[in-house]
Amino acid sequence: MPGVTLRGLSKRYGAGAGVAAVDDLSLEVKPRELVALLGPSGCGKTTTLRLVAGFLTPDGGEIFVGDRCLSSATSVVPPERRRVAMIFQSYALWPHLTVAQNVGYGLKFKKGLARVERDRRVSEMLKVVQLDGFETRYPSQLSGGQQQRVAVARALVVEPEILLLDEPLSNLDANLREEMRFEIRRLHERFGITTLYVTHDQAEAMVISDRIAVLDRGRVAQVGSAEEIFQHPRTRFVADFIGRTNLVDAVAASSEVVTRGALRLHVATASLTPGARVAVSIRPHEIAFASSSDGRTGDNVLSGRIRRASYLGDAVDYQVEIEGTDVVLRAAAPAALRLKTGEPVSLVIRASACVPLPE
Amino acid sequence: MKRSRSASSSSSARKPLAPLVLLGVLAAGGASAQDARLPEARREGKVVWHTSLALDSAQRLVARFEQTYGVKVEVHRTGSERILQRVVQAYSAGIKNADVVNTSDTGHYVFLKRKGLLARYTPAGAERFPAAFKDADAMAWGWRAFPLVIPYNTRQVAGGDVPQTWRDLLDPKWKNRLVMSHPGYAGSVVTQIIALEHLFGWDYWAQLAKNRVMLVQSIHDPGRTVLSGERAAGVSGADYGPLYTERRKPGAPIAAAYPRDGVPFIFSPTAIMSFAPHPNAARLFTDFILTREIQQILADSEGIYVAHPDVTYPADRPKLSELKMLVVDPDEIDKRTEEVKKRFVELFGA
Amino acid sequence: MPSTFDRSVPVWIITAVTLVLLMILPLGWLGWVSISSEQGTTLANYVHVFSDPHLQKALWNTIVLAFWVGLASLAVGVPMAWLTGRTDLPGKRVIRALILASFVTPPFLGAFAWVMLAGPNAGLLNKIYRGVTGSDEPLMNIFTMPGLIFVVALYSFPYVYIMIVNTLELIASDLEEAGAILGASRFRVALTITLPLALPAIISGFILAVLQALALFGSPAILALPAGFHTITTQIWSFFQYPPKVEQAAAFSIPLLLATALLLQLQKRLLGRRGYAGVGGKTGARRPIPLGYWRWPALAAVFAVLACTIALPYAILTKAAFAKAWAQPLSWDNVTLANFHFTFFEYSATRDAIINTLELGIVTATVGAIMAALLAYVTNRRLVPGHQALGFLALAPVVIPGVVLAVGLFIAYTKPPLVLYGTLAILFVAYLTKELPVGYAQADTTFKGVHPELEEAGRILGAGRLRVLREITAPLARSGIIATWCFVFIGVIRELSASIILFTPATKVISVVIFDLKEEGQFAAISVLGLFMLAMTFATVLLMQTVLGRDFIGAKD
Repeated sequence: MPGVTLRGLSKRYGAGAGVAAVDDLSLEVKPRELVALLGPSGCGKTTTLRLVAGFLTPDGGEIFVGDRCLSSATSVVPPERRRVAMIFQSYALWPHLTVAQNVGYGLKFKKGLARVERDRRVSEMLKVVQLDGFETRYPSQLSGGQQQRVAVARALVVEPEILLLDEPLSNLDANLREEMRFEIRRLHERFGITTLYVTHDQAEAMVISDRIAVLDRGRVAQVGSAEEIFQHPRTRFVADFIGRTNLVDAVAASSEVVTRGALRLHVATASLTPGARVAVSIRPHEIAFASSSDGRTGDNVLSGRIRRASYLGDAVDYQVEIEGTDVVLRAAAPAALRLKTGEPVSLVIRASACVPLPE
Repeated sequence: MKRSRSASSSSSARKPLAPLVLLGVLAAGGASAQDARLPEARREGKVVWHTSLALDSAQRLVARFEQTYGVKVEVHRTGSERILQRVVQAYSAGIKNADVVNTSDTGHYVFLKRKGLLARYTPAGAERFPAAFKDADAMAWGWRAFPLVIPYNTRQVAGGDVPQTWRDLLDPKWKNRLVMSHPGYAGSVVTQIIALEHLFGWDYWAQLAKNRVMLVQSIHDPGRTVLSGERAAGVSGADYGPLYTERRKPGAPIAAAYPRDGVPFIFSPTAIMSFAPHPNAARLFTDFILTREIQQILADSEGIYVAHPDVTYPADRPKLSELKMLVVDPDEIDKRTEEVKKRFVELFGA
Repeated sequence: MPSTFDRSVPVWIITAVTLVLLMILPLGWLGWVSISSEQGTTLANYVHVFSDPHLQKALWNTIVLAFWVGLASLAVGVPMAWLTGRTDLPGKRVIRALILASFVTPPFLGAFAWVMLAGPNAGLLNKIYRGVTGSDEPLMNIFTMPGLIFVVALYSFPYVYIMIVNTLELIASDLEEAGAILGASRFRVALTITLPLALPAIISGFILAVLQALALFGSPAILALPAGFHTITTQIWSFFQYPPKVEQAAAFSIPLLLATALLLQLQKRLLGRRGYAGVGGKTGARRPIPLGYWRWPALAAVFAVLACTIALPYAILTKAAFAKAWAQPLSWDNVTLANFHFTFFEYSATRDAIINTLELGIVTATVGAIMAALLAYVTNRRLVPGHQALGFLALAPVVIPGVVLAVGLFIAYTKPPLVLYGTLAILFVAYLTKELPVGYAQADTTFKGVHPELEEAGRILGAGRLRVLREITAPLARSGIIATWCFVFIGVIRELSASIILFTPATKVISVVIFDLKEEGQFAAISVLGLFMLAMTFATVLLMQTVLGRDFIGAKD
């Protein structure tokens, strides 16, 4: 099972210099790994996927599967010879073919497969996706979730080297989506195919993938495990995109302290340039409400006042005005802590939770 | 040799009668030439005939020829001016698809002769034609002739209102009640326009235009328009074919007036094209339409005047000698046809 | 790794080249001839054509005709579209079917039928009017400019109707509901919200109707010439009377061509790139506007219009076909089958014309459908560089009025090396060029309905491009391509304005024979052939509806 290497990939649209959908993008997907391409719309994730599929020719850079060069600016192996399978956002099930014919379509191109063997594999795969008995139905007779599973079966049955998924869950309703996330992860662990998974839903990316590549305007902003990205975002964009965060624009007072107005924060690293502008990311759930003597040395302790409290059921979302500055921090706390608007509070934030970001 | 071939080519049931048939044919004159052409004509397969003869009449003639000789006729019936346009236009593009051409515009034949597009051929019995139907160049022979009269609807035109002269049509009481064929389509109208211009000058036509005359195409259309009651009277109508047959039906609301100052008399020649793709069939056909039998049919059923001297006309047809004919010289027609059409369009609008 | 050679590319290139030949060649010759004379290049033809008062009149007549036809088509088409698209008017299915029938009826047949209905003296309606009121004057005289406008508008308004109906579908319902909730009555909403939103489409519909009127030949020939006035199209045709004044015909054609091109450009700009007035917002289920006591007057008005386009003309054609004398009342001794016998068995031109028409119809439709399908596929899937230009070229012939195209083809193909004049081939070229836009529009819609991902899914599973075409695209596009075939077929069998210039006696088609018979005044035979042509048309429409499973009025651009 080979891995996928994207090296300096770029693709432009439009006349002249145009718009760069993918801009010098490099990424390494290890064999058997599931990497999610995550980002807002327009970040280039779908374009990247379609480049890997062979539907687009790159303007620059190369795509390697294992040590085969599949795409470069000068030559592209056509999609039918790349040994790549894809699950489309619209499922792309052929309405004039039955479920069995849909799933078995790719097997026709495998040499040396007898009809009986093809049918057997189709039946097996349908069992795997829990659609056995559906062979003679037509896609129009299936629900959205069932159609999606047929699409999955169709891709997996041909035993591809690389599997591409293009936002396959975005057309399902919320409950089904959650269920299918686990299903896809389960299938990945069973078959172990190197996979690229495009999504704009970060929860989905976090559940499904081994690693996440966050894309911003055609480039990889950060690659890492869900935890790495969440805890240690490396750019403002990543911090803002993944999970909710507070972003404080401050100035470095020393190598490890930033200030804004009366606010002084010890930050996670000690490599700041004094005088430089720094954005600090603080996750809401890392902000604790002080009660008596919480807090250890090096922790930031801030006084403030509750501006608004929003009851969310499992937690309460607080907006806290920090004294002496214009900074408003959002913090989350269990519902039991019943703070009210206008109430003065004390916040405790560990230095390691204040992540400085390059501007 | 040829005779026995042609005898055996007629149906075997007639074999014993063959000599008698031959005798009969010989008696009609010029017969051996006709026999000789039949196999050739059959080989050629068909004759292409362009004619301005009224459609029903033309179709009937065609049927008879096909029955008699077993040679197909591809007939194209349209107005004389159109015929010339199409035949010459096709020829200029290298398409030779006309054998026998018959229009009601003698000027056409002057033109065609000038361009060398007519073949020399003397039909059987031509030496007996009246002088007006003969051709010194042996190319364009008068085949039929007819007067242009004023058809009118008897329900819409009271006895006292029936036009007696051409100038009667200028009366404002005829405004919006007249119909006329277009000289751009019907050749006989070109003759009429020149004929009346000789009598009254262009002023006649200028004045007539003020009566908002409805314009149709075929020379038979005014008769039909008048019959349907759409207009009260026609400025001209060919007095043969539909106009003639309809008038004879009892109770038909249509009649024709022969103006006192004369009726334009239209000769409608027939000729074989020099480039005819089926020359033998063409000659066979030409002889056929000039035989006494066919010409008699034309006279009887269509009311038309023909070339053959032995034809007898129905009692209700005025004798040629009784008609005051307005005849126009073919050369003049040829020279002035453009001018006539142009001025007509200027005066009548379209 | 070397890139694979796509076997399909040459196919695309050949199609593109054919397209260029079909259009560029005749237009090129047209332009060239318009500025040439025996002395070399000159503008004299243009000078003559525009300074001749007679020709100026023809120009003016055409402008007047086109303008009023546009207005009249709007006046009829917009309310009808609104009534069927927004209100609870009953009988919508029947109405749509009748509008469809109006759409496919050849306008010259309608004109001819109206001669029998509204000729000032013999016309049936006028006779009835005179009988009822005792007046001497007719109710209407069809042989006038208003008469011509009336008849042309009758068969142009469906274009406006289709355009507006489609647009109304696209106007998001919540835009209107927002107005309703603020207190506007349903009619007020229609006037102050719907109408302005549909304005680009309305203007565009006006332009479409104007274009129709500019290019028509049959109706003006039937109604204007007897009344003594010309339009540009009839004038161009009359330039071909012997001797043909081809240079003048060419010079007169160019302005017509430019006018249509300009108008189409305007229309495109109005509708934006999508080609229809798409308006933002969300569309939910609409509540139809109740008409209340307006319902019956509205229905009466709608059926009055449809009576004029369908009921009355078809009735009079049927009567004339079965009657010995069409102007006489229909009594038992006026009924006869002789007209049918004459038309089909005695009149020699009929059989050949029917064969020619069917031959040309089938061949053109087949070739046209294939070309349209290829072109639409190439442009939809962006398979060759410059595919936008291809799409533009495929639709470009709509700019050329039939008469003008015929003049260009006449000039191009009556001289060596390729002399097509006198054969069916030149008619084939004319028909193909003229009907390709319609075919392309339908094929385009078809392929837009086949999601590219369906093909990509096949390719990524191992099927090559041509295999995907065969096994996936073709079955899904089949009914749409059959509809394309039907569209082109219907267009071909009723074509007159190009045929009337390009035919020769041996290559007549039904429409030309009908026109010939009209010049003969053979009303009965015309009616018989007219009914025959309508029968062929409706048979094809029925085929198309069966294949598509729905009426195609919504699908037409």
